[in-house]
Amino acid sequence: MAKHSPVIGRYVTIDVEGCEYKVFYLRNGHGIPLVCQHTAGCHNHQWRDLLEDAEITENYDVIAYDLARHGKSDPPLNKEWWKEEYKLTKDHFMKFITAFCDALELRDPIFMGSSFGGNVALQLALHHPDRFRAVIPVEAAHYAPGFFIDWWHHPHANAAQVCGSGVWDLMAPQSPDMDRWLTWHYYTQGSEVFKGDLYFYSVDHDMRGQLGDIDTARCPVIMMTGTYDYLTPPEMTEDTASQIPGGVYIEMEDIGHFPMSENYPLFRNYLKEALRLIDERT
Amino acid sequence: MPMSVRDWAVKFSDASDSDATIAAMAKYFTCKYMWDMDDAKVIVEMKDGKVYAINIDPGPMDSYDFALRASAQTWREFSRPVPKPMYHGIYSASFRKDLKIEGNHLILMQNLRNFIVQFELLRKVGVPV
Repeated sequence: MAKHSPVIGRYVTIDVEGCEYKVFYLRNGHGIPLVCQHTAGCHNHQWRDLLEDAEITENYDVIAYDLARHGKSDPPLNKEWWKEEYKLTKDHFMKFITAFCDALELRDPIFMGSSFGGNVALQLALHHPDRFRAVIPVEAAHYAPGFFIDWWHHPHANAAQVCGSGVWDLMAPQSPDMDRWLTWHYYTQGSEVFKGDLYFYSVDHDMRGQLGDIDTARCPVIMMTGTYDYLTPPEMTEDTASQIPGGVYIEMEDIGHFPMSENYPLFRNYLKEALRLIDERT
Repeated sequence: MPMSVRDWAVKFSDASDSDATIAAMAKYFTCKYMWDMDDAKVIVEMKDGKVYAINIDPGPMDSYDFALRASAQTWREFSRPVPKPMYHGIYSASFRKDLKIEGNHLILMQNLRNFIVQFELLRKVGVPV
């Protein structure tokens, strides 16, 4: 008897600022939509264990998409994209997410993203508080400079290995080898977009002085960061959360920058607490 | 009392040369690097995935491609079986602790996959400081 996963993959075509994107997403569950954004230079397999978590999918409709140019979501189909340097901006990123949610006719979804997905979650809370039931920025901060660097696609080095091994120690040593190497494997697949993603992460995303304008009564913000994350270490996330009126910060022990992918059994404990807090507030 | 640099070099060579993860992609792992542990310095020369030589008493004119420099205490933290946060890798320690990465970063990047694996062998082998 073949062993089939309950997770279904589909494509949906959306328009974002004149770009035609055929977006691939994985989906499983029932109830409140929980839309999941992968980290920069990666794809939706980072959410593989959440998608198959029977306890969570009983009450949440988990949807993990590949951002355009990542995984199975191609670059724009109506544009000679290879003639421009790819640099993701916060406006395009937010428009992509809201267009995707519209296409799937999602009503009041929770948005969760990690790393640059966490940073865009903060942007969504500020600019689109009425579109989302709540946001869960994971491994995020209001400002995260320093990672928009050329090494990610330097032609004299093996960019796939540079990306995979360059993010290796963003993970905690306690995380299982299999999951850390799977995450490494995913990172070898996205080297051509990693730097362009990090333009958003380290340059265009700058919310200094804006956090006080986030209205958590309209869109609760539950932030979570692992103690082994050197890029956005716990004190940075805590600082961000403390500047958001009503913002919540949860510290995750013994886990790093890719918690859902590097150690899901540990991450899910914190995620359940975040979902409980959102349930309380909405 | 830390182990001698000579004993460390033997243990480290054995651990590296018998490591399956390095062996899996060893063919082009060739570079020469210094680990400056304050109280001890070594220059490790890799050729085609194997430890070709370890200079345990580098002189001022001895060359290498790149160097990792940090306090002896930081190197001791690197060598714990489960390092504390920010001592768990070369980038975490260079972003958040006192590790300095100097020299030709391109050669480090060209060998990064295996160098990272090799660096983590310190958790099994220990350090001579």
